Amino acid sequence: MKIYDSSVKQTPIISQIKVVYQSRSLLKILIARDLTVRYKRSVIGIWWSLLNPIVTTIVLFYVFNTVFRARMPDGTSFLPYLLSGVLIITFFSQGLTAAADSIASSSGILTKVYVRPEIFAFSATISSAINFCIGLIPLTAVLLISGKYPGLKSPLVLVVIFCMIMLTTGLGLLVAIAYINFDDSRSLIQIVLLMLTYMTPVFYPISVLGPNTLEVIKLNPLTSVLIVFRNVFGGNGGTGINMWLYMIGTSTITLLIGLFVFNRMWPKVVAKI
Amino acid sequence: MSKADKGEVIVDLEDVSMIYRRTRHRVSSLKQTAIDSIKRRISYENFYALDGITLQVKRGETLAVIGRNGAGKSTLLKVVARVLPPVEGRVIVRGSVAPMIELGAGFNPELTGVENIMLYGALLGRPQKELNERIEPIAQWAGLTEHLDVPLRAYSSGMVARLAFATATDTVPDLLLIDEVLSVGDEDFQERSKERTIELMNSGCAVVLVTHDLKAVSELSDRAVYLETGKVKAAGKPDTVIEKYLSDVHH
Repeated sequence: MKIYDSSVKQTPIISQIKVVYQSRSLLKILIARDLTVRYKRSVIGIWWSLLNPIVTTIVLFYVFNTVFRARMPDGTSFLPYLLSGVLIITFFSQGLTAAADSIASSSGILTKVYVRPEIFAFSATISSAINFCIGLIPLTAVLLISGKYPGLKSPLVLVVIFCMIMLTTGLGLLVAIAYINFDDSRSLIQIVLLMLTYMTPVFYPISVLGPNTLEVIKLNPLTSVLIVFRNVFGGNGGTGINMWLYMIGTSTITLLIGLFVFNRMWPKVVAKI
Repeated sequence: MSKADKGEVIVDLEDVSMIYRRTRHRVSSLKQTAIDSIKRRISYENFYALDGITLQVKRGETLAVIGRNGAGKSTLLKVVARVLPPVEGRVIVRGSVAPMIELGAGFNPELTGVENIMLYGALLGRPQKELNERIEPIAQWAGLTEHLDVPLRAYSSGMVARLAFATATDTVPDLLLIDEVLSVGDEDFQERSKERTIELMNSGCAVVLVTHDLKAVSELSDRAVYLETGKVKAAGKPDTVIEKYLSDVHH
């Protein structure tokens, strides 16, 4: 028989990760729910997840390639460069808002049934990761059209995905607390997400940036994620070990901070709802 | 569950207090909070949602919790459901806990009946294998066997209520938490759900019942607790406690 004793102190982070791991079957059901709800009743099914990144890519491609007649330096093909950026940004903003929303909108059940809310956040970001994986299909097509191919390093995309899950979950947990506490935080988050998009080299090469701007852009964890992703999937540019370390380091630390802060704040939130 | 198990303490609260800091003026916007904190206008006060509560619930026993709105009843339920860790004191709960919450919370209108049963069951911590076998009996009780593969948004509100109730009461937990006696649906459903609730209460679990329905308290509970501003104001035989509560309310 399970015995709950409130005087047994739980180590934050370790106990949280343990609970998420132990709740794998619930996690699976929640992911299936997220994917089913999003696609089941739409005519084009799972391909719906591609509509947003593909339309965004087409619009941006038209604007920069045809209207501004911009050309990438060193002969990089613009279309795969652009699509890979849009896929990462979509993964990030979709995962982040879905993670925060899934906790904020489930407060009715989370304040009454003992379920760790972190599981909801992970299910949302893993669903976004699955969407991202589907997005690799058109990206491969675009690479092939441009006379390139994903390359031998492409299995390393799994590391990129893993880091993105850690990053978006960590931030999603923090945003969830903000969503519940402050009604106006949603619009603020949208502004921050927009700023982050422009601070990530989605549609411009970092070589055009001045030294000061470059330093700021490189602080953004998404920049390192994107540079690594373009390198392993399509062989764009070189990455030093520094980019890898920065990507893995910032995403791990973000997840740990997110878990820690969430663990401290959640009881205060529950007490007020 | 054998009769010998009767008398085993399932819920044990020892001097439990829930204290949290809250702002004097309720602000829920980031803008207002920022302005207030710049002008140093935010003042906090310590709020005692629960204040030194000690109580026990044994197996086979039903404890009713009554009190005015804001007396701490729902905080007490959250502490017992282990959703909220106590700030002071100690809470021990032995065995599985099943809350009967607003019908349909945790249900998703886009999912089918079966998918919702699986989701809700998983949220309550029930293994998937066990749930697979329970789908038939749950659907049967709810009278929805033919509608299980239809998304919930095609259901009437009565059908959702029946499915939610049937899923929530499908298992006998060690501790049953009831927030307000359920009164939804048509008369037939109300009758059957009340019957099933009582059956569940008598099946050997411990029950904590929070309600404003004083008639239900005197009919269903073995003991009652009357909460006022987070403290136990009266405890004991349901009718004595109700009397005390009523004399305060009509004061």
